[in-house]
Amino acid sequence: MRYDSPPALVRWLLESVVPARYREAMLGDLIEEYNLRAESASPLIASRWIWSQACRSVASIAWSWLCSGNWLASMSIAAGVYIVVGMLKLAVDLSISKLVAPQQATQVVLAPVVFLSAAAIGGCVAARVRRGAMIFLALMVMITVAVSIERKVCTIPVPWWYEFGFLTLGPLAVLITPALAGLLVPRAAQPGK
Amino acid sequence: MIVRREIEKRTGRSISIGAAYATLERLEAKGYVSSFTGEATAERGGRAKRLFRIEASGQKALQVSEQTIRSMTGLKSRWESL
Repeated sequence: MRYDSPPALVRWLLESVVPARYREAMLGDLIEEYNLRAESASPLIASRWIWSQACRSVASIAWSWLCSGNWLASMSIAAGVYIVVGMLKLAVDLSISKLVAPQQATQVVLAPVVFLSAAAIGGCVAARVRRGAMIFLALMVMITVAVSIERKVCTIPVPWWYEFGFLTLGPLAVLITPALAGLLVPRAAQPGK
Repeated sequence: MIVRREIEKRTGRSISIGAAYATLERLEAKGYVSSFTGEATAERGGRAKRLFRIEASGQKALQVSEQTIRSMTGLKSRWESL
C-alpha cells in the first residue's frame, strides 16, 4: 500500500510549533488520519482537513503555551539575542560607513545584506537556545523595522519596496534560517545523534 | 487519535488534535493520566504512537467531577419544579 505524505509546509509548521514532548506522536496521528481520509475521500479533502487541523492546533498550542508562563523565558532569551546581535550589527554598520564604503549608494546595497545576515544569525542562536525565542525575536525585528520606517531613521531616499523588504524579509530570515540550517529537526532524529 | 475521535463522537463537536494533546499534557502534569510510547508504523510515517492510561488520582478526580455535575443537575431540576 502506498502512503501519501502531508504537505511539506504543514509538517514544517507543526514541527516548528509543537513541543518536542509530543511532536512525534501528534505528527504520526495527523499523518495516519490524513492517509485514511485521502484513501476514503480524496487527497484534496484530506489536504483541506490537515490544513484546518494544523491551523487550529497551532492556535491551541500557542494558547496553552501562553497560559503555562513559558513565554517569559522565551521572551527574555529573545531580548538577550536581540541586544547582542543588534550591537554586532551596529558595529558592522559603523565600520562599513566609516571605513569600507562612505558613499550612500554602497550603503544602500550593503545595508540589506548586513541586516538579513544579522537576522539570520539571531534566528539561529535563538532557535538553538529555545525554539519559542525565535518567534519573539521575529516580532522584535518586525517592530524595530516598523518603528524605524515610521520615524524615518534612514536619511537616504529609498523606494517603498526597499523598506517593505526589510519589514517582511527580516522576520522571515529569523524564522526560516533555523529551519534551513536544520536546527528545528528534533535532536534525536538528527543523523549520528 | 482515538481519544480525539471519542471526544468528537460523545460531544458532537470537532476538536483539533493540538487541543487534545495540550489537554492530555496538562492532565499528565497533574498526575491524572500517564503515557507511554507505542509502536511506529508505516501508515504513521514511521512515527511512534503515544498511549495514555488513566491513573487512580485521575479516576478520583473524574468521580468528583461527575458528582458535582450530578448535584448541579439535581439543583437545576429542583429549581424548575419550584
